[in-house]
Amino acid sequence: MVGGFNAYFSNIFEVASTVFEGMAVTFSHFVRKPTTIQYPDRMAIRVQDTLPYRYRGILEVDLEICTGCLACERACPIDCIVIDAKKDKSTKKMMLNRFDIDIAKCMYCGLCSEPCPTGSIHHTPEFEGADFSLESMMRRFVKQPVAAYKPKKVEDDPEVAPILERGMRYLDEFADPAGKTGTDS
Amino acid sequence: MSIAGFEVEVDRGRGLETEEMTLNMGPQHPSTHGVLRFVVKADGEIMRRAIPDVGYLHRSIEKISEKVGYHGFMPYTDRVDYVAAMFCNQGWGMVTEKLADIEVPKRGEYCRVIAAELNRISSHLLSVGTMILDIGAITPFFHAFREREKINDLLEELCGARLTYNYMRIGGVAWDLPPGYEEKVLAFLSQFDRMLEEYDDLVTSNKLFRARCSGVAAISPADAAAYNLVGPNLRACGVRYDVRRDEPYSVYPELEFDVPVGTGSAGAVGDSFDRYLVRILEIKESIKILRQCFQQIPDGPVVAKVPRKLKPPAGDVQIRVESARGDMSWYAVSDGSEFPYRCKVRTGSFAAMGMIEELSKGLMLADLVTVIASLDIVAPEVDR
Amino acid sequence: MLQQFLDSLIADGTLGGMPRDVAYLIGMLGAGALVVFGFVLNISGVTTFVERRVWARIQSRIGPNRVGPQGILQWLADGIKLLMKEEAIPFAADSALFKLAPFVVTVGFITAFVAVPFSSALVIADLNLGILYITSMTSLVVVGIMIAGWASNNKWSLIGGIRAAAQIVSYEIPAALSIFTVILITGTLSMQGIIQQQGWGPWDWFIFHSPFTFVGFFITFVSLLAEGNRTPFDLPEAESELVAGFVTEYSGARYLFFFLVEWGNLYVISAILVTLFLGGWQVPMIPGLAESPFWLNLTQAVTFIVKSYAGVITMMWIRATLPRVRVDQLMSTCWKYLLPIAFVNFMGTALWVLIWPEGFRFAELALTLLGFSMVVYFFYRVVFHLRRSGAELTFSPLS
Repeated sequence: MVGGFNAYFSNIFEVASTVFEGMAVTFSHFVRKPTTIQYPDRMAIRVQDTLPYRYRGILEVDLEICTGCLACERACPIDCIVIDAKKDKSTKKMMLNRFDIDIAKCMYCGLCSEPCPTGSIHHTPEFEGADFSLESMMRRFVKQPVAAYKPKKVEDDPEVAPILERGMRYLDEFADPAGKTGTDS
Repeated sequence: MSIAGFEVEVDRGRGLETEEMTLNMGPQHPSTHGVLRFVVKADGEIMRRAIPDVGYLHRSIEKISEKVGYHGFMPYTDRVDYVAAMFCNQGWGMVTEKLADIEVPKRGEYCRVIAAELNRISSHLLSVGTMILDIGAITPFFHAFREREKINDLLEELCGARLTYNYMRIGGVAWDLPPGYEEKVLAFLSQFDRMLEEYDDLVTSNKLFRARCSGVAAISPADAAAYNLVGPNLRACGVRYDVRRDEPYSVYPELEFDVPVGTGSAGAVGDSFDRYLVRILEIKESIKILRQCFQQIPDGPVVAKVPRKLKPPAGDVQIRVESARGDMSWYAVSDGSEFPYRCKVRTGSFAAMGMIEELSKGLMLADLVTVIASLDIVAPEVDR
Repeated sequence: MLQQFLDSLIADGTLGGMPRDVAYLIGMLGAGALVVFGFVLNISGVTTFVERRVWARIQSRIGPNRVGPQGILQWLADGIKLLMKEEAIPFAADSALFKLAPFVVTVGFITAFVAVPFSSALVIADLNLGILYITSMTSLVVVGIMIAGWASNNKWSLIGGIRAAAQIVSYEIPAALSIFTVILITGTLSMQGIIQQQGWGPWDWFIFHSPFTFVGFFITFVSLLAEGNRTPFDLPEAESELVAGFVTEYSGARYLFFFLVEWGNLYVISAILVTLFLGGWQVPMIPGLAESPFWLNLTQAVTFIVKSYAGVITMMWIRATLPRVRVDQLMSTCWKYLLPIAFVNFMGTALWVLIWPEGFRFAELALTLLGFSMVVYFFYRVVFHLRRSGAELTFSPLS
């Protein structure tokens, strides 16, 4: 083995030089700033506030502008939304008796908020869902049967108007996948 | 056997055979990516056979498609391969579009490619990071994950989730690029370029790392074809096959990129080091593709008009996507109703998994984790 | 020293009519307990904390910083947690051996401290074959690891134990051979004797004594790393291959003992290296220092501990950088590379000592310059990496 002698020492040299270089890289990290975020308690601002607008966190429903159209219930691929909407015979109004979202089942896909006509069902940046019981995972939005929202040309109720405005903005920026081109529904 | 370039013929264990030992590796072993189990027949440190036992992560995703409809199945495809969910999104989107004959707008296609290539980088980073972790170095893993987090942040801004993106829709993508996205991605890429150089200094050129990988589980092109290896694993064997180039889909024909193949720079062609290096080179190609995408992306809508109740005409189609783990093929059958009649996914990890038993013969016990990591096996993709 | 102190106590009747031997025994046990609980256990614990922080910084993290100021009490919390935990002994394990193993390991490690010199006076026993004593005592650890691997009745543990045995036994040879190169120069095995023949300046250290000791230093370093089961030679507990190697089945306090030894061993390894090659506790003779034994010993002890701890941190840093070698590579490194070179070193040093019994001043200075320029080049590379990365810098070790 003629080359053996050279190979022997070039091996040693290669190991030494690459280890040397690697050690230089790791040493340089001693003076680099750590990238750790000290969630949750040692942060300048809550992490929820740093999340992008499109972040899909726990679902929230604004009952004031829910039309009871059941589009979200139909779109949900895992049936974690249960809505009970019935027309009240006496008042001829669509009444919402039940609007439950099981966030233990929810997979945060965002398919429910896309067909919503008013942006009532929407994702919040909240993601801390840990709790002690399964029952608390069931978000029941209807405490008492309420009348569903009826779209008007101009919203004049001062309490509903800002909520509707938020909902429509949500639709523009988040939910409507087709933008202005529109999806047939 | 070649140890650090020092050629010696060693009869591994000949005349020194001991009683065969059966080792149960997994399903909760630290270096089986996901829930994976191997039954290892070993003679001391030398493996006779490692028999993979798959199925621990089976979630019957294909069956679910028959119950939730075309639109509703999209979030489920995220779970097929949660490390590279974009490709599964894209695959399901493409197979349905072909089935229902839907044209995706140009800008939508570019958005898809941008998201997919970002995802490819993050998936390959995870692969090379865990590979070096399995070989025993801890720091490079964290450095790879630090960069991966930045990509996750970018994808989170694009589609609102870090892992299960559900970004694509049938007929395009859900959301257009957010304002200022191009600058953010390009700034990340220029920083990431320098990080890759550093990673090369720390890991790729490291002699100990090379010695651990060189010549380990070298696969010949013929074997690779016989076992149906795909993606980086196949390219590492020296076969220049890439679905993006050979069966172009989406806007890949408009983009210029190389297909890196293994050259055996540390030992044999197709060994573990080649598989590692091909992934590093592919990351660099992805960076190139991303830069071109941002130059060429046109204005316009990002999604085509698709009815909410999609009822494609009866028939069956099959498409291929070059996923991070190789040629991912999607097959769907429609019976004209709003639910698919059948859906089938063929993934790269599954083929690679089938080869482990053959590859493991005669390797050291420590090499098994190198082989698993270098084949980039993601257990949920194997089982689906 | 202890003996004189006890004698004086007996002489002035403080201990009453206690027999001399009993007094000695109690005195020795007390001193031993003081050393163990005052220094050995703490140094292991603090080392775990330091290691986690050092790693964290290398990996762009912060590391433990919640328990106590900057997390300095983290190791106490971890220790207490492990002590409180239930100890599970596998049903099929060899119960007696299983329980014995951690203590064998711990004994092997703690007794090594007996001969570690902290200053010219601070040494428990200046044995005349000190370095031999330390190497043989640290070898006891491998017996414990073997017992642990066997008694667990787990195949992963068994492989870990066997690997440890093969590894440590092999690496003892190059380690001992390179240690002998120093002994050839000093002519004594006593730890104090070895240090006394070195000076405070780097050019008087044995690492720069001759080219052979320079190479010998690195061989000793690598071999001792392997003996201490440290990366890149941490095969016995290779967590990605063997789950946890020989400690797979251990839990609670017994698990704690293994980790005590692992991290404490770092200190022993660096203490050996510092003693043999890096000048030990030698400090410059500032006028006035020699007159006050207290201050002299204090400066010497601080010098020694700082030097050894620098070695400990270097080992952590190596562990954070390098991958693990494979079993066959481990063996070929030892038998093909370290051992022949150690032999050449041994012969070379013998010749060197024959030619220049008093040392060759020019070589010493040239080697010091070489070492210094290596360090300078190293920092040049560090600055290069920093500038290329364009990362944000911070020089504060705190989070």
